[in-house]
Amino acid sequence: MTTGLADLERELERFPSSVVDEFRRATQKVSPKLSDFDVASWAKQGVDIAKQTVRSWEAASEFFRASPEVVDTLNATQLLDWGRQGSLLCQESPSLAVAFFRSSPRAFHSLRPRYIQSWANLGKTFYRGTWKSSALSAKFFEISGPVLESANFSELERFAELMDYVSHKSSDLAAECMAMAEQVLPKVGGDRLAFIRLCRAVAEANWREVKGCFESVSRLTTYIQEGQRAKFMDMTAEMAKSGMPNISLFINESATSLGRATAASQGRFLELAQTLIPKSHEAASAFLRNAPGLLGRISEVQVEAWYDHGMRILQDNPDGGMAYFKIESNTSEEVIDLLSSAVELEKIEEILRMYCRGLAGAEVDIASSRDMAGKNIGWVSEDHATTEGTTVFLPQEMNKFPSKDENFSFFKVVSTHQVAHIEFGSFGFDFDAPASRFQDNRHLREEEVQKQRRERLAARAQQQAQQPDFPLPPRLAALEGATLPPTPAPTDGDGTAEKGYLTDMGRFFDLFPIRKLALDIFTVLEDARLDYRVKAEYPGVAPAYRHIQQDALDQRPDIKEMPLQEAMVEFLVRFSLHQYKNLPVPTEFMDHAAVIAEVAKRLLHTDAAVEDTSEATLRVYDIIADLPNQQMDEEDWSEMDVEEQELSDDQLDELLDQMREMRQGNDGTQGEQDQQGEEYESPPQVDFRGDFKPELSQILNTLRQQMGQGQASGQQMQMSPEMLQQMLANSPELELDAESGQFNADLAMFIQNLVKEAGAQPPDQPGQGYGPIPHQDEDGGSLEAREPKTFVYDEWDFRAGDYKPRWCIVREKPMAEGDTQFYTDTVHSYGRLMSQIRRQFEMLMPEEYKKVKHLPDGDDFDLDAVVEAIIDKWAGESPTDKVHWRRNKIDRDVAVAFLLDMSASTAEAIDEARRVEDWDAPDDPVEYMVWLRARRGEGARRTYKRIIDLEKESIVLLIHALETVGDVYGIYGFSGYGRENVEYYVIKDMEETFGERVKRRIDKITPLHATRMGPAIRHVTSKLDKQEKRTKLLMLISDGRPQDRGYSREGVEKEYAVHDTKMALTEARRKGITPFALTVDKAGHDYLKTMCQDMGYEVLGDINNLPSRLPMLYRKLTF
Amino acid sequence: MTTPLKGTRSVYREFLIEEYRVEEEPFYIPVGDEIELFEAAYQQKIPVLLKGPTGCGKTRFVEHMSWRLGRPLSRVSPNSDNGGSSVPLITVACHEDLTASDLVGRYLLEGEETKWIDGPLTRAVKAGAICYLDEIVEARKDTTVLIHPLTDHRRLLPIEKRGQVLFADDGFLLCMSYNPGYQSALKDLKQSTRQRFVAIEFDYPDREVEAKVIEHESGVNPTVAISLAKLGEKVRNLKDYGLQEGSSTRLLIYAGKLIKQGIAPRRACQCAVVWGVTDDHEVQRSMEEIISSIFE
Repeated sequence: MTTGLADLERELERFPSSVVDEFRRATQKVSPKLSDFDVASWAKQGVDIAKQTVRSWEAASEFFRASPEVVDTLNATQLLDWGRQGSLLCQESPSLAVAFFRSSPRAFHSLRPRYIQSWANLGKTFYRGTWKSSALSAKFFEISGPVLESANFSELERFAELMDYVSHKSSDLAAECMAMAEQVLPKVGGDRLAFIRLCRAVAEANWREVKGCFESVSRLTTYIQEGQRAKFMDMTAEMAKSGMPNISLFINESATSLGRATAASQGRFLELAQTLIPKSHEAASAFLRNAPGLLGRISEVQVEAWYDHGMRILQDNPDGGMAYFKIESNTSEEVIDLLSSAVELEKIEEILRMYCRGLAGAEVDIASSRDMAGKNIGWVSEDHATTEGTTVFLPQEMNKFPSKDENFSFFKVVSTHQVAHIEFGSFGFDFDAPASRFQDNRHLREEEVQKQRRERLAARAQQQAQQPDFPLPPRLAALEGATLPPTPAPTDGDGTAEKGYLTDMGRFFDLFPIRKLALDIFTVLEDARLDYRVKAEYPGVAPAYRHIQQDALDQRPDIKEMPLQEAMVEFLVRFSLHQYKNLPVPTEFMDHAAVIAEVAKRLLHTDAAVEDTSEATLRVYDIIADLPNQQMDEEDWSEMDVEEQELSDDQLDELLDQMREMRQGNDGTQGEQDQQGEEYESPPQVDFRGDFKPELSQILNTLRQQMGQGQASGQQMQMSPEMLQQMLANSPELELDAESGQFNADLAMFIQNLVKEAGAQPPDQPGQGYGPIPHQDEDGGSLEAREPKTFVYDEWDFRAGDYKPRWCIVREKPMAEGDTQFYTDTVHSYGRLMSQIRRQFEMLMPEEYKKVKHLPDGDDFDLDAVVEAIIDKWAGESPTDKVHWRRNKIDRDVAVAFLLDMSASTAEAIDEARRVEDWDAPDDPVEYMVWLRARRGEGARRTYKRIIDLEKESIVLLIHALETVGDVYGIYGFSGYGRENVEYYVIKDMEETFGERVKRRIDKITPLHATRMGPAIRHVTSKLDKQEKRTKLLMLISDGRPQDRGYSREGVEKEYAVHDTKMALTEARRKGITPFALTVDKAGHDYLKTMCQDMGYEVLGDINNLPSRLPMLYRKLTF
Repeated sequence: MTTPLKGTRSVYREFLIEEYRVEEEPFYIPVGDEIELFEAAYQQKIPVLLKGPTGCGKTRFVEHMSWRLGRPLSRVSPNSDNGGSSVPLITVACHEDLTASDLVGRYLLEGEETKWIDGPLTRAVKAGAICYLDEIVEARKDTTVLIHPLTDHRRLLPIEKRGQVLFADDGFLLCMSYNPGYQSALKDLKQSTRQRFVAIEFDYPDREVEAKVIEHESGVNPTVAISLAKLGEKVRNLKDYGLQEGSSTRLLIYAGKLIKQGIAPRRACQCAVVWGVTDDHEVQRSMEEIISSIFE
């Protein structure tokens, strides 16, 4: 060590010892790489730094610590320059220098030495003399290294500029962003500049969102293809510049949405969106969020057509265009629907339901297969059609074929096939019924099987006596349990039941050791029978049927890769799909296949019934089960043709006998036991035929019947869950995993579901809520009515000039019941008015008599007619004898519905109702609750009458009047909060008769939430529409303008609600209903004028008049 | 009895109503014992109520019975010297404006005088004919009451305006038809009326029989006939699920006739059956799907 260094070291000794330590360590490492002179300069630099200010020794310490690493990448001049920059930073603040030095080693992996000064300066720009800014600057140095590993320096500069900009707004935010940048920037890859530009745009528009931008990057990179990112980000930047809020949400959503498209499509979508931006950035954003999702339904080209249409609307009507691209307008949905070749079950459900009912002649319902799978009662496939005997389950959507017609016809073929199960009796299998196309072998076989089992059991009993602890695997144990029908069976005189089987189907399948194989054969044969029957019975559908059969054939898997048994079943499947030519068959077993085909052919006859299928199954099973389930070599296959011609009975029997002899000749026993080869697995099912589960269906139907009987006679269920469990443990129709150890638990749950399904009555207890109310955002899309007694309605968006489809959910519930006290009190206090009203209504009765002319007899001559008759007579014509008139009683034919506003504002005391107040419910749920509570509290403290009380009293008086004239009437209250919770309370339904319950319900009418009038009106309209009356009246009684959370555009435009209400009233009018609005809101004229235009309305000046005015008004309207 | 009208060249087939007879055997395939029942009722002079949906063959049945009862073997009417081979059949289509005088008769002015004209019911009573009141519930209730004395042991018709009572000829039988499902509750038959009749219920025949009827009436080949019958059966399955009433045999025959004339089967069924039965588009669509399944 030179003296110079030693001196310097001494100088350092007045600083904490760590500095000296670092100095010594560094010197050792640095000295060999530099000349002595440079080492001295270097050391001097460090010491100078340390001496700068009070805390600069820390910077010096870092300087020394970093030096050995840095010296590897820098030459002497650069090293000294580095030190100088650090020193300069240290003059600003030692902590900057500390960060600078500390970050240097890593940064210098990527940072070119010539940028050292710029880099230091970049860091320095953040420093504004505050503690926070120094931390920010330090953070910048820290992340520079990692960032530079993927970015170049000019990008780092851009980034620093961005951060600088952000830090002017909030240094905390900038710090957070920097922390994220370390991860984010490498992720963005080559699109860093675009990303920085985007962030810059966002920062300038709304700096708070920058963080969101950073956060959404990972989603962006996951979903958007690399080539498209820059384009996407630049576009987003443009949107941000044009003032679009909530950029990060947009990035997240549109990225996710674009993720569904391929790179090329993404590019195209982005181009399309780009052209939208100048028109409306909102529309562009909506387009990006929604368009890729459409790809499932329509092709990319069609999306463009959809886009073009929307573009035209957008030009004429920006709001309409917005709604269009948000897919919140009917036009939009219609266009999609028009373009799409997909057919949705929902849309054609009614047609198919009636079609199926027509064919089956029984109450057949249509539901989606998803519903069935969801029940967990054995049917698992969501995409396949199926039926259990009463309902045909179909896939939710069909988009397999390029045109709507073809997809519809697929639905039709599928449902025809499923209905054929019902129509042609697949589920009516009776073990004891004779077959018509075969000799009956079932009973013989049953005896044989039983005998063999007894012998085997006896043998095992012996064996077990010797080896008592030998445990059976669970599945096997279950199997053993089912081998002998052990349970005391429900006795209904049926042979099947006596033998201890739940169903005939179960009894039949019990004849086979490999049940799965038996089920598959049975299924294919039964399907073949039905396909034939359908084609014979409905020649019109036959072409479509053949088309779909052919399509199914094209999709069959390669038979040559299947082991023998499966291949034979597959052969049968293909035969059943009407492939008669060039059927691939293993050469060795061609004869077998030929016989199988012959047996199957027997079923292709209009006389063949399900029992024939069972006999055919017996025969085919015997042939297939005997074959080894082994893979065949490619060259062992040949092709055969099947003749259309059918063999005679004798010929077939002869063939079958030959087969049997061949088997016995082989090994003399049933070949199944010592079989070689793989375990049998089912070939994939044929799509259009769907899931066929004859045994389960029979069980379900039996259960249903028993439930019905049990309920009628009060008996216990005859089929216990234990019995079911025993029976079902072995059913091949259940796809439960025997090995998982879950078997028993799964089975038990499954049986529970099954029993529940058989009970089938969904508990529908009015008066109880339907669980917590789901909250949906106003920006969400269409809603779906899932629960009972919920209805979904469109809402009119007057700006868009179109309906928002399925926008509101109306929840109908009966009003809670209170006391009759209110009713009685009202009757008392209004005694005089009441009798007055009654008298007036009674007096109306005579008005109902009208004069009817041109009668042959009557009260008196109709002079006009007499004169005419006499003239006729003189003219030589035969005069009419219809010269009398008479008063004829014409039945009053009126139905009326009263719709009562139960909004919170009706809690206003009537004398203070004049007080001007903002009646808008706050949009934020939390604020809303506070607002609501405040309102209710106010109401509760008051002892005087509220608006609602007057409404209630009017109702009481009205009921009196209505009961006098005998009109059909309903009284409903409505309120709600948000579009998904429009509450609709039934106080008295149309069909209901007036009684105690209604009186009690009136008591419970209380102010609730907001006033979304549109859906309530639509719902009451649908109720009135069902009434077959000449005069229908809808009376809306409210206390103010319609308003609700989100019942406006952007929460400010009250017109929106008014227009929707108006549209709802117009809809009612179109249906022949006369709407009338009565309001107690003095300011009512302004909006009622818009709302009701040419319809009747009345603003009640003095609210106290309501009880007397309402009945009078009613009288005026209906007489 | 054909009367050519003077001064015109066209020739009408015109009958006095009590002289109208069914000369040719009307085609009718019995479904059950309705023929025996009707014969027995006729012998015992019990009025008959034919119930059944529209177009299932009620009117045809009455025509057939009128022809059949006139044959020597089963002829019961002593008033048989009128030369015809069947019991006269007087059909009155009932409607809302049908008054008592429309049935019994009325005075007409003739010049300066008045002249009494018998109504169809009176003429049937006099002539010993089968008086068939079609769709009786359509008639006003006060009109319906008029027939009461004719339908019990008295078998007489009071003619109020002339102050007379008219005893029914032995060959007279009152018969009316009634379609239970279709009328509204307002138009139900009064118990006091309906309990004066024995009722024979009709329904659409089963597929094979209906096919024969269609084949005979429309002249289509048996395959088309059976398809039409099949369609009828399927459409009737939809009753109460969107259809008020299934398609009648009559409509199926119409469809058959159109097909016979060369109209494509699907189109013929659409016009004759679908549009005839319902206006509801969705139901129409469903029915058209059924048709397109059955017909190629």
